[in-house]
Amino acid sequence: MITAERKNFDEIRRMTDGAQKLLVVGCNTCVAVCLTGGEKEAEILASQLRLARKQDGIGGSVETVTVLRQCENEYLDSISEQVQKADLVLSTACSIGPQGLVFRYPTKAVVPAMNTNMMGYVKEHHVWTEYCVACGFCIIAFTGGICPIARCAKTLLNGPCGGSQGGRCEISPDVPCAWQEIYDRLAALGQLDMLKRILGPKKWNASNSGGPRTMKMEGFKP
Amino acid sequence: MERELTGAITRSFGRPGPVDAMLRPPCEVACPIHTNAQRYIQLVAEGHDARALAVVRVTNPLPQVIGRICPHPCEEACRRGDVDEPIAICNIKRVASDGARAAGLGFEPPKIEFTTGKKVAIIGSGPSGLGAAHDLALMGVRATIFEKQPEPGGFLRTGILNYRLPKDILDEDIEYIRKMGVEIYTNADVGRAVKFNDIMAEFDAVLIAAGLSESRPLPIPGADLPQVLLAVPFLEAVNAGREVPGLGKEIIVIGGGNVAIDVARSARRVTGGKVTMVCLEADHEMPAHAWEIEDARAEGIEIVCSQGPNAIMGEGKVEGLQVKKCESVFDEHGRFSPTFCETELSVVPGDTVIVSIGQMSNLSFLPEEGPAVNERGILIFDREQCTTTRRGVFASGEVVTGPGAAVNALASGKKAAIAVARYLGVDVNFRPEPAAIGEVPADVADKVKKAPRRRMPARDAGERLKDFGEVETGLDEVDGRCEASRCLLCGSGARYSQLKCIACLTCVRVCPYGAPWADGEGLGGIDPDKCQACGICFTQCPAKAIDLTVMSEEDIAARTVAAIADSGNGELEFGCWYSQSRVAPEAAAVSLPCTGRLSVRLLLHAFESGAKKVYVAVCSEDDDGHFVHGHRQTRAAVADAQKALGEAGLDPASIELRIEPELKCRKAT
Ligand code: SF4
Ligand code: SF4
Ligand code: SF4
Ligand code: SF4
Repeated sequence: MITAERKNFDEIRRMTDGAQKLLVVGCNTCVAVCLTGGEKEAEILASQLRLARKQDGIGGSVETVTVLRQCENEYLDSISEQVQKADLVLSTACSIGPQGLVFRYPTKAVVPAMNTNMMGYVKEHHVWTEYCVACGFCIIAFTGGICPIARCAKTLLNGPCGGSQGGRCEISPDVPCAWQEIYDRLAALGQLDMLKRILGPKKWNASNSGGPRTMKMEGFKP
Repeated sequence: MERELTGAITRSFGRPGPVDAMLRPPCEVACPIHTNAQRYIQLVAEGHDARALAVVRVTNPLPQVIGRICPHPCEEACRRGDVDEPIAICNIKRVASDGARAAGLGFEPPKIEFTTGKKVAIIGSGPSGLGAAHDLALMGVRATIFEKQPEPGGFLRTGILNYRLPKDILDEDIEYIRKMGVEIYTNADVGRAVKFNDIMAEFDAVLIAAGLSESRPLPIPGADLPQVLLAVPFLEAVNAGREVPGLGKEIIVIGGGNVAIDVARSARRVTGGKVTMVCLEADHEMPAHAWEIEDARAEGIEIVCSQGPNAIMGEGKVEGLQVKKCESVFDEHGRFSPTFCETELSVVPGDTVIVSIGQMSNLSFLPEEGPAVNERGILIFDREQCTTTRRGVFASGEVVTGPGAAVNALASGKKAAIAVARYLGVDVNFRPEPAAIGEVPADVADKVKKAPRRRMPARDAGERLKDFGEVETGLDEVDGRCEASRCLLCGSGARYSQLKCIACLTCVRVCPYGAPWADGEGLGGIDPDKCQACGICFTQCPAKAIDLTVMSEEDIAARTVAAIADSGNGELEFGCWYSQSRVAPEAAAVSLPCTGRLSVRLLLHAFESGAKKVYVAVCSEDDDGHFVHGHRQTRAAVADAQKALGEAGLDPASIELRIEPELKCRKAT
């Protein structure tokens, strides 16, 4: 799931203070599941903005509306009335949301309330860890189902660096060494001989380094 | 539609799922008149006695009476019993009416417009007749009651003594019904003072609610002696303050039911002498309520069990009661069919016998053309339609249902009122019988904080025997509120909207009682049997798919706005109704079932609504208050809201968490 964190409040203030009619648009999918940008958080942010603006004598209105997913046109269509009335839209979705709004409402000013950070796994309630960087060509079949691209600080492909200490990554004792994890996992599976094979240079042409990627499906189209 | 800067929370929540909508707390289901006990209990917990009384009155036309003498089947069903002891539902009803009475509120009936133009005669002014008249009035039908006694109330007046039900209390409840426009003719003995057929001619319908006005006699040798009395006339005389001829100093009461207990307790008061009850049943089989038996014993009444009356001894004057051993009272099908050992005889000494083995109706006032009675002299009656064999004549109460509690007679009268109204072509709302939610699962019951039931204070046995003054004195305000706070608010906790849920699993993870569930396909729900209404899931659900049935977000927001408007100084306290103390007495208060249900949004909303300072109460340093993790949630919400305020340029210290100074809820009992 995509995770995103709310920007610093002052930054949001600077982006929005000029607006008389501000619309905060929540997104009730990924950012709601990661508890930062769903309906509840959008309302809290709006409430904070109203309090702050009142404090500073800025009038106008701060409304909220939440859609199920800001990355879909139909959902964005459903809030057209509110968007049209606003002179600035503040999105609490991952950055796809505000860009979707821009695409859908070309004449509206839209700003993001969030910093999109990663695709995470929910380790426990309130804790997410990055497990995938969307490199475009998955190799975890060779690494015991653990991604060294996302989870090794140096994206090493063939075993740990010299900094691996007691199973921990040299960047921080809080971070497990991905290669230690790969080794332990393969040992448990009785597949340590997988490590004898050298992974060649990674194909990076499917990653995002070559401009925006597009996915198209074949099949029925209306 | 532009939202103001104050951003009031007005959005209404998703409808409860079909299951939630149907299931009611078992107290309400078990109550013969389906009183919304939960609601009035909640209002008493909050200290709103008059509003609580109004809730009682919705279904109960005799709130003060029933609040004193009801055998409270609701308490047997109460789910708090799965945790420790049931809620004292009946005593709380009395707290509501006593409190409202003291405040001079809640005794002015609504103004009734008798728009239907229909008139109904009711024979008998006991609970059934009064209940029917009251409900008919609410439906715009004018009722006139014919009562043969000089004062109304039926068995409530003639059969129940002042020490259990003070007469002024009964008078007040009846006066309320009178003020609704119900006419009561007393000394109006149908059959003598007024003929049944004349009533038929005058009214659009007749309801027979004549009760069981005669004592069942005991056909044994010696029963004709002058010192052998019957329960009903005895109670009538004592109740009217009349001297009872033939009453000696050593009284034997035959019978083991509630009426027999009343007879014994009054005889003890009137004579000051020895009183012995003799009954067929073994101790644990006695039909009287356990608490009545306990009270009688406390007053020095001896109870001789498993003995059947054989003969009353004495020549021209009672000298005792010969009894034979009763071997069993019921047959294998549980039917009344006593067997005796005819040779095991003994004598209970005494100079007076009062027979209290049951009551029967007196239907001698019915004319030949009906309604008809069966071969056993009982009115022929359709239980569902409340009809008799004569068109336009209905019946209700003990005359057709047989003996029971006043609240059952009331229920029967209310049912008849609907039948009569329908017969008269009045539009009546149909209310389906409610179904109850399930038991509290054992693992959840384990986690619920235990709290002792508040005992009803009573005058000391030696003291109370000296007069007919009321024995039970009523729970005081603190005990009443504490007792009310024990209610689990069954079935009124988290309400979940499947339409809004995004299956994020937050509720599943945060609920301390394991009530929310989800399957791998993203389907889920909240189990009402497990939910304790703590509100934690509501504060955490990111999609706002959860609200609480009692004290919803909208409700709390509205109370917040009202309290701030009231406060004068912009200071507001969110308190916990379980503790019933205040952390900021100078602030206006919104009291909640645990401050753990305060969300960040609600805290910010208070400031948007004009609050300058908000105090949030918790009742201890612990994580848990009344609810598991309740305080942990309160603290988290306060910290988050403080941070949010700080970011917005307001002083974070304008939200302050305070620990309750004085925990009335923990007051020793
Ligand atoms: S310690 Fe392990 S995870 Fe960290 S950079 Fe080295 S190999 Fe990668
Ligand atoms: S706990 Fe409260 S709502 Fe539940 S059954 Fe008892 S009185 Fe009724
Ligand atoms: S917390 Fe809300 S959105 Fe998440 S699963 Fe529960 S009800 Fe659904
Ligand atoms: S968190 Fe509280 S309110 Fe929500 S389901 Fe669990 S017990 Fe009920």
